[in-house]
Amino acid sequence: MIGEVIAMASDDSLVWLLAAGPAGAVGTYWLIYRYYRNTDKSHAYERDTIIEAQPVQGGEEKVDHISKTRDSDIDGDNSDDYRERVQRVQ
Amino acid sequence: MTQEPVEPQQPTFDGPPLSLEEELAAAKAEPEPGPSIETVNESLKDGLNRCPKCGSTDVRLRASTGMLVCLFCRNEWHEARVEEEFGLGEGIDELEGTVIASGAEDIQADAADMLTFKCEACGAEVVVDTAHALNARCHWCRHTLNVNQQIPNGAVPDAVLPFRLTKEEAVAKIREFASSRRLFAHRRFKKEFVPENVLGVYLPYLVIDARAESQYWGRGEVETRRWTETTGSGDNKRTTTYYAADVYQVARQVSFTVDDLTVEGSSERAQFGTSNTNNIVNTILPFDTKNAVKWNASYLVGFTSEKRDLNVEALKPVLEDQLLSIGRSEVRGSLGRFDRGVRWEQEKVDVGGSRWVSMYLPVWLYSYQQESNGLLHYIAVNARTGETMGSIPVSQPKLILAALTVGTFLEGIAGSILVASA
Repeated sequence: MIGEVIAMASDDSLVWLLAAGPAGAVGTYWLIYRYYRNTDKSHAYERDTIIEAQPVQGGEEKVDHISKTRDSDIDGDNSDDYRERVQRVQ
Repeated sequence: MTQEPVEPQQPTFDGPPLSLEEELAAAKAEPEPGPSIETVNESLKDGLNRCPKCGSTDVRLRASTGMLVCLFCRNEWHEARVEEEFGLGEGIDELEGTVIASGAEDIQADAADMLTFKCEACGAEVVVDTAHALNARCHWCRHTLNVNQQIPNGAVPDAVLPFRLTKEEAVAKIREFASSRRLFAHRRFKKEFVPENVLGVYLPYLVIDARAESQYWGRGEVETRRWTETTGSGDNKRTTTYYAADVYQVARQVSFTVDDLTVEGSSERAQFGTSNTNNIVNTILPFDTKNAVKWNASYLVGFTSEKRDLNVEALKPVLEDQLLSIGRSEVRGSLGRFDRGVRWEQEKVDVGGSRWVSMYLPVWLYSYQQESNGLLHYIAVNARTGETMGSIPVSQPKLILAALTVGTFLEGIAGSILVASA
């Protein structure tokens, strides 16, 4: 969120600095709350289970080209969100 | 010599007679399949667990050694590890179908929690509420009675992992956890905090070995060019970064086995959300489940237990969900070339085989109910590894004050930079 605010306002001199106060307040609240309540914690079974995997297989095929965009990364990157479920194929 | 008249044996009434069709169908029906792994501890029966040396029933767990100890003659012994006894560590890559150990079989709806025992020492009848405990003292002769047979209500698992951390060690862990979170803790919580009230409880889990293959499909992007363009001049000069990228259709597939994946066997603990703090108890996983031993109710003396109320069938979606996540983490390393990231859109998992064993795992649990919102907060200690996690009620006014102070301070710095640069 803070990153977006900075990106949006980066063109207009240093006015974006004014977002530092609210962002800092929200960030402080969130950090302390999380340290006390630990609402985001759960068992990391992806890491803490004995897993024996065969080599990963698969392929990739070029299907399109984006010639000019201001986005620095793909929309909806979920490669690190292992627990976010997508459409299930039976 | 007189002989007492013997009453003729009355057949027990078991409902109205079946119709002819029902009788025929019952006769033709295949016998019900037995459990895939029989884990009943044959050396024990319900009732008195005696010390093999002196015969006393005053037997309990000695946490410091993880052994059963006879309180009368100090003899120590232990049950065999289920890992070797039932071959649980082997053949995961050859598992087929769903293999269920006898203690993880389906719970029968009509199975009662209250068991009535006849004390073998004095003949008195003693009631055990198996939903919370699997031992009871005979109130007449003080012998300890144990539930060792697997009753179909989920209360007796296949295996038990004995407590290793003592209560004193658990209290120290809980105190340490809470004392590092004092400043913003709710005032009432601080006042009422008594870690000595911690309870040792055996919680029900299903420990799963599985063989699976998962597949994922999505889009990935590789950056081919990056450049900046400048527009305007003077004060209106702006610089923008642009990117060009190749878009790929990406597919990945991985076969893997998991050993001792552990999921909650109690429906109450398996609910995660903002209205409870069950995630705290979930976080202290994993346990060293390889060291679990054959069922012997004596391990539970002095502790409470919560019975399993979820069947394997109800937990299959949870297993599939976790296998999909594990597969996703396994294929992560093969996505390095997609420097703009990958968006998975479809996924699939085939569970080739799974093996389910029910276990009681040891947890030191401190609970505190916050009166203002009714939320039950836990501080849980893994009684094997000592891992501690908790939820401490926060004082909202203090927290908001801290947030506003930091915000005002940062705003002050930002303002002064702006004024200085103007």
